[in-house]
Amino acid sequence: MIEVKNLVRTFKSGDRTIKPVNDVSFDLEQGTLASIVGKSGSGKSTLLSLLGALDKPTSGDVVVNGVSLASMPDGKLTNYRRRDIGFVFQQFNLIPNLSAVDNVMLPMEFAGVRKAARAERARQLLEQVQLDPDKHGRRINRLSGGEQQRVAIARALANEPKLILADEPTGNLDEQTGEHIIELLSTLSRDHNTTILVVTHDRALANKTDRRFRLQQGRLTEETARTRATAALTG
Amino acid sequence: MSVLARSVGNAFRNKVRTAAVVAVLAVAIGLALAMLVANQAVTGKVAELNASVGTVLTVNPAGGQGFEGGGEPLTSAQAATAAAVPNVSSVVGTKALRLRNAADIAAEAASGRTGQGGPGGQSATSVTTSLTAAVDAGTLGNRNQAGTGASGATGSTGTTGSTGTTGSTAQAAPAFSLPITATGIGAEVDSTGKALQLTQGTGLGNYTAASTGALLGTTLAEKNGLKVGSKFTIQDKTFTVQGLFDSGTAFGNNALYVTLPTAQTLAALPDELSTMIVTVNSMENVDAAKTALQAALGSDKADVTQGQRNLETAVSSLDSVKNISFIAFVAALGTAGLIILLIMVMLVRERRREIGVLKAIGAPNRTIGLQFVLEALVLVALGSVVGAAVASLASGGIASALISSSSSTSAAATGQRGGPGGFPGGAGGPLGGASQLLTSVTASASPGVIAAGIAAVFGVAIIGALAPALLTARIRPIEVLRGE
Ligand SMILES: Nc1ncnc2c1ncn2[C@@H]1O[C@H](COP(=O)(O)OP(=O)(O)OP(=O)(O)O)[C@@H](O)[C@H]1O
Ligand SMILES: [Mg+2]
Repeated sequence: MIEVKNLVRTFKSGDRTIKPVNDVSFDLEQGTLASIVGKSGSGKSTLLSLLGALDKPTSGDVVVNGVSLASMPDGKLTNYRRRDIGFVFQQFNLIPNLSAVDNVMLPMEFAGVRKAARAERARQLLEQVQLDPDKHGRRINRLSGGEQQRVAIARALANEPKLILADEPTGNLDEQTGEHIIELLSTLSRDHNTTILVVTHDRALANKTDRRFRLQQGRLTEETARTRATAALTG
Repeated sequence: MSVLARSVGNAFRNKVRTAAVVAVLAVAIGLALAMLVANQAVTGKVAELNASVGTVLTVNPAGGQGFEGGGEPLTSAQAATAAAVPNVSSVVGTKALRLRNAADIAAEAASGRTGQGGPGGQSATSVTTSLTAAVDAGTLGNRNQAGTGASGATGSTGTTGSTGTTGSTAQAAPAFSLPITATGIGAEVDSTGKALQLTQGTGLGNYTAASTGALLGTTLAEKNGLKVGSKFTIQDKTFTVQGLFDSGTAFGNNALYVTLPTAQTLAALPDELSTMIVTVNSMENVDAAKTALQAALGSDKADVTQGQRNLETAVSSLDSVKNISFIAFVAALGTAGLIILLIMVMLVRERRREIGVLKAIGAPNRTIGLQFVLEALVLVALGSVVGAAVASLASGGIASALISSSSSTSAAATGQRGGPGGFPGGAGGPLGGASQLLTSVTASASPGVIAAGIAAVFGVAIIGALAPALLTARIRPIEVLRGE
């Protein structure tokens, strides 16, 4: 269970302040697959960074299973990021001089998983995201964008997090591979009770989620059947 | 993939830069190691020299030394006083005599030069002997002896000056024969307190009793055709050669030793001592004993000096080499630390975003810090390997360069101290000895010293890497979303 309460994040650019996240509130039950859509620059990545404790809100709070992130010291936030969160970055953010397997093993190393066990699991995860086995040992900077994206997804799943925050996880994938990833994510939420929040421009993906949100100029609205109908009418 | 493996990998990420950093580090580390080797070698040498100067103090009458200067002579009573000073383990008295060949004195008297050769000092009258000196007067001897002799000669040319004959001046300069130093000693040691190196025969047995035995320097015996058992005279008394010694110097071998009471009888000065050789029980107590001894004897009555002065000079010049090399070692070590600091600050700045990624996926600060420290150590390890190779090639050259520049300054210092006639047993010693011991310094570079130096380098590298590593703790995970 994740509760977002009146979350605000402002940035100062010059003498102007911008509010990419402006008084956002919503709850997600454990095991929900949810999506956020919105125009470029509407604040989607900023919102995810607040939920993933990469950044601190200007005001408001995120409460995860009853524990408030605002009240957590930095050490606890590190533990939260390591154990509870799987983050798929829009820019992948893999370590370029390490191999695909090594990148996936990294979060497990920080969690203290034994070496043999983490190598084993890393290979399984890479197979699940359909990365060619002969590319498992290849360095990141010799993989294509789509391949890197799948390594990034595998890394996010490494520590079996309760909450996966995925920023455009299918943005660089062909339709078929994208479908597979969507399938993988919905299986995780259904069978492993993982809460998944996906930022996407991909309508097909958004339509497959349990709940759909739209972010507009920092304000979050949930799409119900009715709002979607009006949105379709107004274009 | 462990932290260590990641650090090693990161150290080689940019191979050209790694090579450059390792090269610069190698120079600094190599210099540090070379300086340490030089420092250790010199330190060892200083200890060795101190041990050779040893625990011996020399007491001379205040204002006098050897046959030079003035003041009141030392007495047996003062020897007893010295023996009672704490930490003094033994006191050996000596009585020096200046022996002149009887025939030479007769010849000089005949040529009108009644002045006794050499400055007055304590033995105002010559003691005659049948021996001939083993050292030719040569240029130095003639010049030195001319001190008093020349005044007589000037007087004679003054009177004959009106005739303007050059003949009289020519006649006034026959070759001198040098005096022979005879020393009465209270133990089987030379006049500097070192054990006599007997090459033939035996010692004199009881050195505190009168005896007709004598120990001769090898060259003196050879010059006079004497062997163990041969006889010669001093002041009309017959002495028997009981042993031959080699002091290692030409001056020292133109000497003979008799027992202390014998010398005092020959000089007709019973109870009087030229010097006292005081041995202190340990190196650590030498300074304290020296002060106590000086106080007990009174600074108006006796001068207390430590060991051989030329060695002191050599030690002090070596000490300055030791200090210079130590400062250079510390400076080179500091430079290596600074290089590491700057490189790591640069790397941390460059990998800001990557550090953000590690934090975003839950890496604890200490893991990231450790990774950077290990990366620095990989660079230092490579630098040390290359640096040690550089040091092993350069340290000999560096040490000898340091030492030759400093021994030339010490040579100038000892040169001034040499003085006419030199010190007992010291002639020809100071410079030759100093440069000999200095050149023998370079050879010794022990693996232990290199290991200690590399340990110091690693210590400094850890300190240098720590600041930038701690800096990573301040990088926030949100850096991950910032563009490069
Ligand atoms: N550190 C920052 N300082 C100033 N402005 C920022 C900062 N980070 C983000 N912004 C601004 O906040 C707004 C929201 O950015 P954000 O990355 O959340 O958009 P987004 O919805 O993810 O867009 P996209 O779909 O293009 O990824 C943008 O206008 C961006 O310029
Ligand atoms: Mg974004």
